[in-house]
Amino acid sequence: MIKVKNEIVQCDFLVVGGGMGGLEAAIAAAGAGANVVIAEKHNTLRSGCGANGNDHFVCYIPERHGDDIELAVREVGNTLDGGPWVDVDMTRVLLRHTKEVVERWESYGINMRPTGKYVFEGHSLPGQQLYHLKFDGKKQKSCLTKAAKDAGAHIMNHLLINEILVKDGRVAGAIGVDVSEEEPEMVLFQCKAAILCAGLAMRLYPQQNPTYMFNIPGCPADVGSGHAMALRAGAKLVNIDIPNVHAGPKYFMRGGKGTWIGISSTIDGKPVTPYVVGKPSRATGDVTADVWPSVYFDKMMDGSGPVFMNCTDLDNEDVEYMRWAFESEGISSIFDYFDQRGIDIRKDMIEFGAYNSDLNNTGVEINERAESSLRGLYAAGNQVGNVRGNLAGAAVFGMIAGRSAAEYVKTVEHQEVSDLPVIAEKEKLFSAIWDREEGAHWKEPASTLQQIMNDYIPAMTPRTENLFRVGIKYLNDLKKLCHEEMVAENSHEFMRCLEVLDQIDIGEAVAVTGRHRKESRGRHQRLDYKFTDLTLNNKFMRVHKDADGTFHMEYRPRRMK
Amino acid sequence: MPPIINRKKCIACGYCAEICPVDCLKLDKKAKKLIVRYPDECWHCGACKTDCPQGAITMRYPLSHMMLAFPPDKEM
Ligand SMILES: Cc1cc2nc3c(=O)[nH]c(=O)nc-3n(C[C@H](O)[C@H](O)[C@H](O)COP(=O)(O)OP(=O)(O)OC[C@H]3O[C@@H](n4cnc5c(N)ncnc54)[C@H](O)[C@@H]3O)c2cc1C
Repeated sequence: MIKVKNEIVQCDFLVVGGGMGGLEAAIAAAGAGANVVIAEKHNTLRSGCGANGNDHFVCYIPERHGDDIELAVREVGNTLDGGPWVDVDMTRVLLRHTKEVVERWESYGINMRPTGKYVFEGHSLPGQQLYHLKFDGKKQKSCLTKAAKDAGAHIMNHLLINEILVKDGRVAGAIGVDVSEEEPEMVLFQCKAAILCAGLAMRLYPQQNPTYMFNIPGCPADVGSGHAMALRAGAKLVNIDIPNVHAGPKYFMRGGKGTWIGISSTIDGKPVTPYVVGKPSRATGDVTADVWPSVYFDKMMDGSGPVFMNCTDLDNEDVEYMRWAFESEGISSIFDYFDQRGIDIRKDMIEFGAYNSDLNNTGVEINERAESSLRGLYAAGNQVGNVRGNLAGAAVFGMIAGRSAAEYVKTVEHQEVSDLPVIAEKEKLFSAIWDREEGAHWKEPASTLQQIMNDYIPAMTPRTENLFRVGIKYLNDLKKLCHEEMVAENSHEFMRCLEVLDQIDIGEAVAVTGRHRKESRGRHQRLDYKFTDLTLNNKFMRVHKDADGTFHMEYRPRRMK
Repeated sequence: MPPIINRKKCIACGYCAEICPVDCLKLDKKAKKLIVRYPDECWHCGACKTDCPQGAITMRYPLSHMMLAFPPDKEM
């Protein structure tokens, strides 16, 4: 039997995931007087995509960018922090709050101006203002962890959340698993509100070297559990049918394009897009990888690839600058690799690859208060569907969620959770996995899941009705077999088993929504519906699942103003 | 497989295992030894190397993670 913790953990506001969004939510809510618990699968000091640092923070600082926020909203819309899949009003909310976050982070000791003044660099199209504040995030997680504790939040590390409990149409608690010891322990939470900040859905699709499932750009701990929990709780998600493609070094998938200063070039060293004006520099670089990340795949397909990141024209100073920038971004292993293996990027170009979808910023739909469609459930960060902004998006909407939740929890009472049927169901499932002597190690279904996603619900190659239909059936078969056969020897493997089950739920939702979108758009390319349906321009597809497991889809207008 | 622990320097304090973002390191409390228990789950993020109070950790980059380097073809 799975061990179950005797007492129920009670708090006003439960933060699921102590990454960049979660810590900001905790700081804001605890600062406003709420009783806050952060449940983090690993340790907030070094967890998630910001574990080792980040180096640019998209922001609008009027003293620098002028008083016209509308210009900033439009121009940021053309960067990797915008794009067609965000509500424009949410970008405005984001940019309205970035300055205050930057200043507050500075007060926590995060180095927001490594050169002494605010420096904005890269990621913008030629001719635009620059909005990406260059900072040094190496210590961001320890600083934010300290700030969360100082504000009064209680952190439970090595504790994953697996289910949000809903009663009478609002959040009432959660089911967690403590994985700090060899034996896992089920933990129940009673709370008035919760925020999902569990990050990306990595490991859903195979990556460049599928044998090594953790050779991936985003943190492998972020597997879409937040998306899955939202879906099971009945909250609305948006645009999860649209694959998100990302780019970076091809077989060593650390971080992605980040602060690479170079030109995306063909074999002859020539640029592949007109985005490069003169010699690339740290200020302007080449945004090709930001705005057309699939170029590395598309050019392979049309015969003009491979495409490389060409840094051979950089001077030594810029190469050393890149080394420093990678360190602040948390990808120092790239230069460590160059040093160990004697690679000189002033002589050799580095081949880049297009990375398979990781559901970056397709997910839970939130409003300007960071509320989801389910009462008491908030979301922020990479698992949100209608906002981008990456790090800044996570921080700002985390903060907004924390503030909103602190007000909300004053207006509602705790609800009894121990009688909810889902608790007994989970206990049974957990016990079955834990008690089984022989069976399927998590890697078996995890690899099959990736295979099914790639073959039947693909992100890089075309989709069809038949592929979706069989893919959905295969995923459900796999889910059933997982329930019947998965085994775990210790809490680590137990955690991986639960991750696979979450991933299957998400994979199914991607398939169901992709099947529903009967047109081609972006990387959602259908051989059976090759046209782009103009009536769906600027429409977002919402999906939610009802209590009996039926999916409901609807289109709603994208908010353009 | 990565990370590589220098046994002469490691004092088995377990800090690296505590903070690893993917739980690939473990402290064997009985044997008082740090083990790289799930090497193929390493993200190569280097958190363990950065935070080790003894400077006992280096990274090895497996050949499954090879960088693809190619000189620009100036002839073309
Ligand atoms: C190497 C790298 C460099 C980057 N650089 C930049 C940059 O310079 N600028 C920028 O804007 N963006 C950057 N990004 C992206 C940025 O880091 C993310 O957008 C940001 O971290 C998102 O915050 P989040 O809270 O959504 O997710 P995360 O910060 O990833 O946090 C998610 C947390 O949830 C935890 N978790 C997952 N599942 C569960 C569960 N079931 N229960 C409990 N906890 C769980 C994870 O362990 C993790 O701590 C970079 C990403 C990487 C990988």
